[in-house]
Amino acid sequence: MLIEVENLAKTYKSYQRGNTFGEAVKSLFVRKPLYIPALKEISFSIDQGELLGFLGPNGAGKSTTLKILTGVLHPSSGSVRIMGYTPWRDRRKYVANIGAVFGQKSQLLWDIPPVDAFYLNKAIYAIPEREFKKTMDQMVELLGVGELIRKPTRQLSLGERMKCEFIMAMLHQPKIVFLDEPTIGLDVIAKDKIREFILEMNKNGVTFILTTHDLGDIEHLAKRVIVVNHGEIVFNRVYNQGRFKRKIKFFKYLLH
Amino acid sequence: MRSADQIYGGGDLTSNLHLYLQGVKTALASRMAYRGDFFMSMIIMLLEEMGAPLITILVYGSGASFPGWTMYEVLLIQGIFLLARGIAFPCFFGIVWNTIERVQDGTFDLLLIKPKPVLFMAVVTGFDSEDLGKFLGGIALFTFSLSQVPAPGIFEGLQFIALFLISLAVLFGFALILAGLGIVWIGNFRVYEIFFSFINFGMYPTVIFSKALQTLITLIIPIAILGFIPAATLLGRPAAGTLSSVISSIAFLFLSIWFWQWMLKKYTSAGG
Repeated sequence: MLIEVENLAKTYKSYQRGNTFGEAVKSLFVRKPLYIPALKEISFSIDQGELLGFLGPNGAGKSTTLKILTGVLHPSSGSVRIMGYTPWRDRRKYVANIGAVFGQKSQLLWDIPPVDAFYLNKAIYAIPEREFKKTMDQMVELLGVGELIRKPTRQLSLGERMKCEFIMAMLHQPKIVFLDEPTIGLDVIAKDKIREFILEMNKNGVTFILTTHDLGDIEHLAKRVIVVNHGEIVFNRVYNQGRFKRKIKFFKYLLH
Repeated sequence: MRSADQIYGGGDLTSNLHLYLQGVKTALASRMAYRGDFFMSMIIMLLEEMGAPLITILVYGSGASFPGWTMYEVLLIQGIFLLARGIAFPCFFGIVWNTIERVQDGTFDLLLIKPKPVLFMAVVTGFDSEDLGKFLGGIALFTFSLSQVPAPGIFEGLQFIALFLISLAVLFGFALILAGLGIVWIGNFRVYEIFFSFINFGMYPTVIFSKALQTLITLIIPIAILGFIPAATLLGRPAAGTLSSVISSIAFLFLSIWFWQWMLKKYTSAGG
């Protein structure tokens, strides 16, 4: 197993705030803590080379799971072993093996061309020049971004930017890539190109964990789906793509 | 495909220096995308910093003075104070604004998925070219005022360099505290205003302050080491409490590192 998650739980601490002026004033001095269980002891495992879809409505626990798996967040309890590492304990060694694309958080730099941001990643991951150029050229070719990588990021369309985000995430040749809503807001052509790219990389052995609201991503990409709702796994199976429409109805049923 | 150890092993001094310089190049390229703004910001920053030396010149020009200190000696204190900030603010103080912005827009997580210490990544991605105006102003004021006072000996020069490095360490400590506060205390900018007002005590001879304030800025929160103490040493008249201030500065640095780690732990526990 590449990823093993056992009884993973995360509870957030928040504070109750009143909705009247009096309660708002009172909350300046006395606040009642609220404990919100975001994950309720979930367990699952992922094999090397899998392309797993992580589905669920807003607030279901998808992002929390992703943050824990990427080493960003510490869980309240439970264990995670990924390639022999515990993400939040062995963060620096572990994250050298992973890449991430967040549909709503850009790793590119707004005022300069993506290629300059790629060079920053080259320095971060200490990628040798020849290897860097070879990987970058391959990715540029696969995603069809050519000279676009030399234009300032702010002049690129959302689809072009997202393709560059993928290059940024893949330059150090990670073994696992986490995708958080990578096709959000994209047109059909850009979505198709990115999906093709993901499938191509997956054929080369890269493991993908994809969280999305777009069932089209799941239909085209995922071989197995985990559905989370209210912090619990409600579905975890390999599914038959031929019966996808029926599955969509099933997912919708699960999420209500 | 390279192993994690090969990448992680790229954590030696040379590769980290290379990464830092790449961060500087990237930040400069970003800033220079708007040429007019790039130069104007630096000039405005320079003019803003010239306020205190101009007031000093006006004070002495009107016949008043800081007791026991000539105008050029006071300008030297202010030159050193400006030079320290001129190095600290572009090179590493940017972690404060970088952290605040990233925590607010959620991109702080992106620093945590890089195989480098989070603090180093915050420094690398936080180079602030706008503050280079401070550096240029600091160099100009320092060299001018130094040329107007008796030349210091080698021993004083070496002591000055050591104290100046400690002043940078103190500014790094302040950056860590302010950035750490930015992680958990989002949007409270008053504390930064207080900081900028407070450190200004470092650019005057401490003799003009009350005993209590002198003790505070020399021994408790070592502001005096940002300008006054290194200048006094360079002038061959070391200030009382210099050694205590050095010890206090080192303690302050360790305390600030601990504070940053504590705040970072809070972030990774709470998820921003």
